[in-house]
Amino acid sequence: MSTQSLFQSLQNSALGSSIGKLDPLVGALAQLFHIAGLLLILTSIVLVNLRLLGVGLRNQSLPQLVKATTPLVWYGLGLLVLSGLFIFLPSAAIYYPNPAFWAKFLLLSLALLIQITLYRKVTSVEYPKRGLATATAIISLTLWFSVAFAGRAIGYI
Amino acid sequence: MSVVGFLQQLHDSQLGTALRESLYIFPLVEGTHLIGLALSVGLILVTDLRLVGLFLRNVPVADVLQQLRPWVLAGFAITFGTGILLIWAEGPRIWQIPVFPLKLVLIALAGINAFWFELKYGKTVSVWGDNPTFPKGAKLAGWISLVSWSAVVICGRLIPYLDATQH
Repeated sequence: MSTQSLFQSLQNSALGSSIGKLDPLVGALAQLFHIAGLLLILTSIVLVNLRLLGVGLRNQSLPQLVKATTPLVWYGLGLLVLSGLFIFLPSAAIYYPNPAFWAKFLLLSLALLIQITLYRKVTSVEYPKRGLATATAIISLTLWFSVAFAGRAIGYI
Repeated sequence: MSVVGFLQQLHDSQLGTALRESLYIFPLVEGTHLIGLALSVGLILVTDLRLVGLFLRNVPVADVLQQLRPWVLAGFAITFGTGILLIWAEGPRIWQIPVFPLKLVLIALAGINAFWFELKYGKTVSVWGDNPTFPKGAKLAGWISLVSWSAVVICGRLIPYLDATQH
């Protein structure tokens, strides 16, 4: 089955069609949960990355800050995935030709990869090397904010 | 001049028209408005959650307030700046949608609350911040801030959904 027909059959599925029949305000609710999830992740990585850049909560232990924000990142991802499915399924076929949609998921994969490799490694010590910390912060912030912008662009294309 | 009259002038101006008819600028402004929330609303929610004792409890509240403040303010500069541009481009239409004036009222409420908090508690945070419990007024300001900013975001997202002219 081609990806395109997969998307079409997802849209035509029982779940996809029943969501599609709901009141548009339910869609607004899904988007609000999507925003909530987005804020949970973005604010968490802003807090940690500001610390990596030596600003913001600069007196705090880096691993401790990561420890405090990690649950929020997971909750955020959970909210984003669930609300995202809710938004995606009823209209899956129209997302297929949308370049912003694919860009978002490419960037998201990169962001997640960096999150569990470089970001995790660099934030596991109290005082990472200056250059590495700065580079990690810039990469992490750029990737996650790019995901957000690509996601927003989906609605415009 | 009425509010609608003023908004219409902005709408008809060169800037308003250019924004509205742009291919990339308007989406960029709107995207920045939304994503800037991570800095403004996100960080102020962190501050509020600290005040009410629900997040970063082992971080001194004075640090949370003072060290995050410049970033919160920068975030709000971005959010308000882009918000004003959005009003410039679409003012008359969104003014007719009740959740929009409501959103502005809630922003004013949140702003007054923040101002009051800064005046009454902001300067002395290093004093009361070390106590096991914070002043009731400070915690109340935290809750008001949490609720009002959340309501602002909700109203904002509802604007396109409650626009009768677009259906």
